[in-house]
Amino acid sequence: MSARPSLPATVRVLAAIAIAAVALPLVALVARAPWSDIARLGETGPRTALLVSIEVSLAAAAVALVFGVPVALVLARTTFRGRSVVRSLALLPLVLPPVVAGVGLLAAFGRRGLIGRGLAAIGIRLPFTTTGAILASAFVATPLLILTVEAGVRALDRRKEEAAETLGGSKWYVLRRVTLPALAPSIVAGLVVAWARALGEFGATITFAGNLRGRTQTLPLAVFEAMQTDPGAAILMSLVLVALSLVALIALRGRFLAR
Amino acid sequence: MRALMATSLLGAVACSTSSAAPARQITVAAAASLSGVFQQIGSAFERANPGVSVRFTFSSSNGLATQIQQGAPVDVFASAASRWLDAVAKDPGVIVRAPFARNRLIVIVPRDDPAHVTRLADLASKGVKLVLGAPGVPAGDYARQALTKAGLRAALKNVVSNEQDVEGAVAKVTSGDADAGIVYATDLTASVSSSVRVIEIPSAANVVAIYQIGIVRGTKAASLARAFLDYVLGPGQVALRAAGFSP
Repeated sequence: MSARPSLPATVRVLAAIAIAAVALPLVALVARAPWSDIARLGETGPRTALLVSIEVSLAAAAVALVFGVPVALVLARTTFRGRSVVRSLALLPLVLPPVVAGVGLLAAFGRRGLIGRGLAAIGIRLPFTTTGAILASAFVATPLLILTVEAGVRALDRRKEEAAETLGGSKWYVLRRVTLPALAPSIVAGLVVAWARALGEFGATITFAGNLRGRTQTLPLAVFEAMQTDPGAAILMSLVLVALSLVALIALRGRFLAR
Repeated sequence: MRALMATSLLGAVACSTSSAAPARQITVAAAASLSGVFQQIGSAFERANPGVSVRFTFSSSNGLATQIQQGAPVDVFASAASRWLDAVAKDPGVIVRAPFARNRLIVIVPRDDPAHVTRLADLASKGVKLVLGAPGVPAGDYARQALTKAGLRAALKNVVSNEQDVEGAVAKVTSGDADAGIVYATDLTASVSSSVRVIEIPSAANVVAIYQIGIVRGTKAASLARAFLDYVLGPGQVALRAAGFSP
């Protein structure tokens, strides 16, 4: 702690360039924003997109929670043949190009998709719906929650759970009253990361759910659309997304930001 | 030291982008609806001018106009609506411009026609999932004009997605996920027509899309750009006719 190891100047310079490369676009957004038009953010378009974004990202985070925590527990706590394949599959959306996720979701849940055909027959349509947008966001965001929670499970001290089991607690009781509470910090962190990823989702959403104001047009889609004709509006909406991302970062400060 | 490194880094970037290429290459930004035919015309132009290469960027005309205004290095811009060539003419400017083709709109529905759309008026029926180009995208603006002329503005309530270019609208119909789309007659290529049915829009309600081509001010390849523009207005017309565009 007292004597800091010294770093070669080259390392410092490269790090400085990297940080500047991140800061510069943000500074540019602030500098180029048409601040006199800021009231335009209150117009229907941006306001609706923000509401859709909030709805879609929160719902996607909830989906990630419900399905991601069990996956994390299974991956961290069980051994079975093919576990590493399952783990790779569960994390694949992290590295998959989002537009490919969208094409895949259409192939699966589109009207002529593998499952979509059956769903359409019973009246369930996912493309072009808010539910479709939530599915697309959850698809890309869940692996982040899985990763975070899985690491949390592995770091857990098992003695309390063992004690609870010895005292006759059922599996469900131990999970609910001992394991999950101990995992709470990881779960919260995973939720925030997944939410932030869902908030930024673009490729899978526009491919699978389309682009309709009030239904599937999230803020990133609205930014993209505005950028085609009205870059000023695109910058203003981008700043809203920057602000929301900062909220996520602040929520995670205990985890990722050193004091 | 840091400043020195940063400066030399910037210098390297600047050099690599402004490497003084002889004007043997042009970049053409063209409306998405031109993607098939312009690639043919580009290949023919390259064959007619050995050593010359044409690079294309296809997207919605409004998106391309904004990119050019933001400094995208484009020599020739072919827009599906005069509005967006006008925008580029205002900033950064256009040296030469000319109309070169016309197009009209059609309605396409998936081959199995799940929403029973058999005439234009059916687009306003309840529950029809209609896809259009987004407002600003020429195909989207034209489609809205056509629906207005046909007295079918109610159909706008059926829009389930505003696509970022006309090809997006075509794809949503060919995949069967949308019930109908309003696209250009020229979007009916062999592969598209195998998976859709066409409903003609009566000429009274139809809109004539006038395509315009222009040379962007500031081009470093003005003479080659001019040659390409002349080629599109001349020999390229054969390919445009074959693709279904009108003179």
